[in-house]
Amino acid sequence: MAKKIAKTPEELLQIGKEALQTWILSENTPETNRLDVVIDAKEIKNCVRALIELKWGYLSAITALDRPEYVIVEGSTQKTVVPDKGIVELLYHFCNHAAIITLRVSLPYANTSIDSICEVIPSATLYEREASELLGVEFIGTPSTERLLLPDDWPVNVYPLRKSFTGLDNKNKNEEK
Amino acid sequence: METKHEPEKFIVSIGPQHPALKEPGHFEFTVDGEVVTNATARLGFVHRGMEKGTEARNYVQDLYLMERVCGICSHVHAMAFALGAEKLAGVQAPPRAQAIRELVAELERIHSHLLWLGVAAHEGGFDTLFMFSWRDRETVMDLLELISGNRVNYSANVLGGVKIDINDTQRDALHKGMDFLEERTHHYMKVVTEDETFLGRTRNIGLMTKAQAQLLGAVGPTARASGVKFDVRVDSPYAGYADFPVKLITEPAGDLEARFVVRINELYESYRLVREIIDHLPEGELSVRMPRRIPEGETISRVEAPRGELLYFMRSNGTDSPDRVKVRTPSLCNWASVLTLAVGHKLADMPMILAGIDPCFSCNDRMVTVNRGSNAENWSWEDLRKYGIAYYK
Repeated sequence: MAKKIAKTPEELLQIGKEALQTWILSENTPETNRLDVVIDAKEIKNCVRALIELKWGYLSAITALDRPEYVIVEGSTQKTVVPDKGIVELLYHFCNHAAIITLRVSLPYANTSIDSICEVIPSATLYEREASELLGVEFIGTPSTERLLLPDDWPVNVYPLRKSFTGLDNKNKNEEK
Repeated sequence: METKHEPEKFIVSIGPQHPALKEPGHFEFTVDGEVVTNATARLGFVHRGMEKGTEARNYVQDLYLMERVCGICSHVHAMAFALGAEKLAGVQAPPRAQAIRELVAELERIHSHLLWLGVAAHEGGFDTLFMFSWRDRETVMDLLELISGNRVNYSANVLGGVKIDINDTQRDALHKGMDFLEERTHHYMKVVTEDETFLGRTRNIGLMTKAQAQLLGAVGPTARASGVKFDVRVDSPYAGYADFPVKLITEPAGDLEARFVVRINELYESYRLVREIIDHLPEGELSVRMPRRIPEGETISRVEAPRGELLYFMRSNGTDSPDRVKVRTPSLCNWASVLTLAVGHKLADMPMILAGIDPCFSCNDRMVTVNRGSNAENWSWEDLRKYGIAYYK
C-alpha cells in the first residue's frame, strides 16, 4: 500500500474551502494557516455537516463575540454602548493539524437565535451552553439549556460577557429574590 | 420459582465540592444495578469570570491573570497568552526565550504527568504507587523552584520573552534530576504494563476507539491513547518546538492501560527534550521590547498543555487592553468522551475512568448520594473508591 503523504496546511484549507464553497459570503486569511469564512446563520448546520462528512478536523471551540455599537459621550472621550444596536458574532473554529477554518456568523441583538449543531457534533452542547449563558445566544434544538457555568441564583436575561454588562447591581440581585 | 420485577434504577450524584484539589464539578450517573446507563455533568463551580476580567485589565496584568487559570498547567496558559499577544503586536520573542519557554513547559508536563500517575493509582487503590510517584514528583517541583523561584505559577513569561535564565548550577541540577526521574520511570512502566492486579483495573477498561475519539473531540494523551495522531507541538510548532522538535507518541489500544503507557512514554520524551534544550540553549537576549498598545486584530494561539490542545482566541482593539480573550481548555473537550465512555461500565470502574482522562477537576471527593428508591444512601467519593477496590478484590 502506498504511504499516505501528509497534506500541507494550504492544501487542507483548499479542500475545506471547496467543501464550503456554496455557502461562503466572504472570506479572509487573518494569519498563515487560517481561513475565516463568513456564512449566513441559517446555513450553519449545512456547513458544519459538510466539514464533518469530509472528516475535516474537529470542532475545537465556539467563540462568541459581543460587538455593540458605541457612541462617544458629548464633551468627553468616553465611549458608551448603544442599547439594542449591535451584533453577537459566533466563531466556529475547526482545527485540522496546523490548518484552522473559522465559520463566522453574525446575529443581530434583535434575533440572537441560531440552529444548534449538536445533531451533527454531540459534544458541541458544552460550547453552546456556554455561549447561551454568557452572551444570550439562543440555540434552537440544543439538547440541554440547563445552567452550566453561572450560579443558580444568577438573574435571567443578564449576560456577563456582553460589553454592556459592568456588574450586578442590587436591583438585579433583589429581582431574583 | 420466578418473580418478574423491573430492574432497579438509581442516580449516583458525585460532587461538586472537594476540599483537597481544585476545580469542582458535579456528575450524575444513572445506574441500572451495577451498570451505568447515563452520565451528565454540571460545571462552573469555580467560574471566576476571568475572560471578562481580561477586558478590564491591560495586557501585562492579563498575563498574570491568565497564569492563574489553572494551578497545574499555569505556564502553558501564560505562554499561550504571551504568544497570542506577541503575534497581535507583530513582535517575536528571541530564540533563547522560546527555548526556555519550551523547557519550562516540558518540566511542567513532567510534574503534571507524575501527579496524574499518582492520582490515577490512588483511585484504583494502588497507594504505594501513588506515594512513590508523588515522592519522585518532588524532584521536578524542586527543579522548577530552582529555576523560577516558585513551585507553582512559575511566572517565567513576560510579554516579549521570558524573565528567567539558566546558569551552570541549574543545568547540572536539571541533568541530575532527569537522570533520577528516568530511572524511576522505568519502574513505573514496568508496573503499569506487567503488574497483574494493576492490569486487572486498566486493561480493556474505558475503551475508546479512534473513530469515537475523533467524533467526541478528545484531545491530548486521551486521544493519542486511541491512536489519534494529533499533538499541537508536532502539527503546528510554537515557542521553541521548531528548533527542539518532539516525537509524536500514540498507542492503538484505546483502553486505560494505553492512557498510562502514552503518558509514561511522554515522560521519557520530556526528559530527552529537557536535556537537549539545556545542552544547546541558543545564545542571546531573553526578551524584546513590547508595545503597550496593541493594534486591532484577531489571533488564535494554540499550545499543547499536559492534557491536550489549549486554544486561546484573542481580539485586540488598538488599546492596551484586549477586546476579547476566549480560553478553551483541553479538559472541556475530554468531558464529552468521559460522559460517553461511562455508559455501559460498572459503577466500580468510574473512579478510574474519570481519572483516566486526567481531568483538571479532581472535584468529586466530597459526597456521593445513592438514591436507592426511598432509601437514599450517602457515600463520599472515598466510599465509592473503596467500593471499587473491594469489588475487584
